[in-house]
Amino acid sequence: MARRTAPVPVRWEVREGRAGYVFIAPTTLLLALFYLYPLAQTVVYSFTDWNPGTGRVRNVVGFDNYADILGDGDFLRAAGNTALYVAVVVPSSMVLGLVLAAMLATPFRGRNVYRALIFTPYIAPIVGSALIFSYLLTPLGGLVNNTLGVFGVAPIAFLNSQPWAMVSVLVFSVWQLVGYTMIIFSAALTNIPTSYYEAATLDGAGVFRRFFSISLPLVAPTSGFLAVTGVIGSLQVFTQVYVLTGGGPLGSTETVLFWIYQQGFVFFHGGSASAAAVVLLLFGVVVSAAQFAVLARRDAVEMA
Amino acid sequence: MTQTARPTATQPPVTAAGTRPRRAPGRPRGRHGLAVVRHLVLLVAVTLFFGPFVWMVLTSLKSSSEALTFPPTFLPRVWHFDNYTELFSAVPFGLYYLNSGVVTGLSTLGQVLTSLAAGFAFARLRFRGRSFIFAVLLAALLVPFEVVFTPLISLLSSLGWLNTYQGLVIPNVPSILGVFLFRQFFVSFPSEIEDASRMDGAGVWRRFWSIMVPMAAPMVGSFAILSFVYNWNNFFFQFLAVNKTEFFTVPIGLAQLQSTNAASSFNLLMAGSTLAILPVFVVFVLFQRQIVTAMSGGLR
Repeated sequence: MARRTAPVPVRWEVREGRAGYVFIAPTTLLLALFYLYPLAQTVVYSFTDWNPGTGRVRNVVGFDNYADILGDGDFLRAAGNTALYVAVVVPSSMVLGLVLAAMLATPFRGRNVYRALIFTPYIAPIVGSALIFSYLLTPLGGLVNNTLGVFGVAPIAFLNSQPWAMVSVLVFSVWQLVGYTMIIFSAALTNIPTSYYEAATLDGAGVFRRFFSISLPLVAPTSGFLAVTGVIGSLQVFTQVYVLTGGGPLGSTETVLFWIYQQGFVFFHGGSASAAAVVLLLFGVVVSAAQFAVLARRDAVEMA
Repeated sequence: MTQTARPTATQPPVTAAGTRPRRAPGRPRGRHGLAVVRHLVLLVAVTLFFGPFVWMVLTSLKSSSEALTFPPTFLPRVWHFDNYTELFSAVPFGLYYLNSGVVTGLSTLGQVLTSLAAGFAFARLRFRGRSFIFAVLLAALLVPFEVVFTPLISLLSSLGWLNTYQGLVIPNVPSILGVFLFRQFFVSFPSEIEDASRMDGAGVWRRFWSIMVPMAAPMVGSFAILSFVYNWNNFFFQFLAVNKTEFFTVPIGLAQLQSTNAASSFNLLMAGSTLAILPVFVVFVLFQRQIVTAMSGGLR
């Protein structure tokens, strides 16, 4: 017993510790090879004219790739689209998810069925559900245009015209994400003691007052978490753009990741693709760091 | 502070009155009206969020002209179950299914086994560099796969792994999230049983397989389900790692079908979507609770 509590590792601990390397080997070696090594390459290649098609590096070009992409109209448009995506999809999906979670917060008949059905888009493969949208939005005979036609609206080429193509991508993405924000907010609302609501009810607070004065402030940390994961997720948008619009019309729905994919695998500009990837990475790290800072400050305030 | 003070101050009257706390006193009619409004809003939400899937299945059983007819029909006039046989003869959908099954199955198995082992080691074994390696993993979680894909694909190409099962599976195996979840689980798990079994002479491997892994079974289940859904739905990586039909998975095959098949036969596209969504839908119906708790709890 006395040996077990000793601060210095005892003999069996040292012996078994060696087995630890074997246990962690699969994960760490695979990560090193397929994640960290390509990450290092991305950083190095961002300063070169690497061609992914031939695998050759001819010249080291310093910061030219970074200067190029920041002066490239297509890249800036893609960055603008990604920013628009963040500005629209993240808050919309959070507001809708919170409202639905609040409506489903107290037990009633059918609650679980509602929740499961609303959650479904989030777990469905994006290729499949984006195809449903491209069918619903098709100009001649799609359900949306058929319905609009009843009100005398001429058919709209939702996926091939501006600004409708981007609007469609945004609507699809909100639709796809709301189920996730809903269940995360549901978990947060479950953690609020019911006594808070009971007390407020006795004090005469109505449904809306209880929502705005109790639920909303108490899910603030969850909102912060969802905002950060939402921003990071927005940086990785590709599939719905590829299926719905293919980036068009005229590049108007291209996201940053779509642009990187094209630079790397269509034009073989590995240097610019890598530089843009590094920019994406730095942006993600800044957002995550901001979250940690906010969380740390809040913990400090609560502990004080 | 005031928020926590108020409820405790008003708590006694509730219990003293002895009423069910959830009902607001004196406002039954308003409550009933709100319940109706709530059902109406939720029905609209269900129509918007789940309706498209119903429409997909119904369209997959219509003729191609009926899929685009005006006014649209709800139920098919003639039920075309043969759309599914036509889909399988138009493209090798059975092969896509097999590929998706193999890739998803092996990736999920690999993620569970490697994460279990690493999570156990980081939680229970003491070795030099443990904290440092774990910190590196923590940092790597900040790097989304999308950042490294260009050199990764060129690495797979030089290994000759493009258009192979190992190329589709092995880069997906390490899961930092899985390592975290299992480490968390083992750290919070009481060590008495493991200590007792060590006293009885059980070595580290023995304890891992016959004590720790069975104890972690519920966690393994939740993580395996999440991992399955993630791998089945994966598009971007598979899209880059494969360009030969023999190795197409369901999502890739479906995207390919869309681009080759023009807009004319939405009934076939919807049949394809139905088949792509079906496995995750079945898993979701069977394991709804595990999925929801794992996603809302495990990712924090």
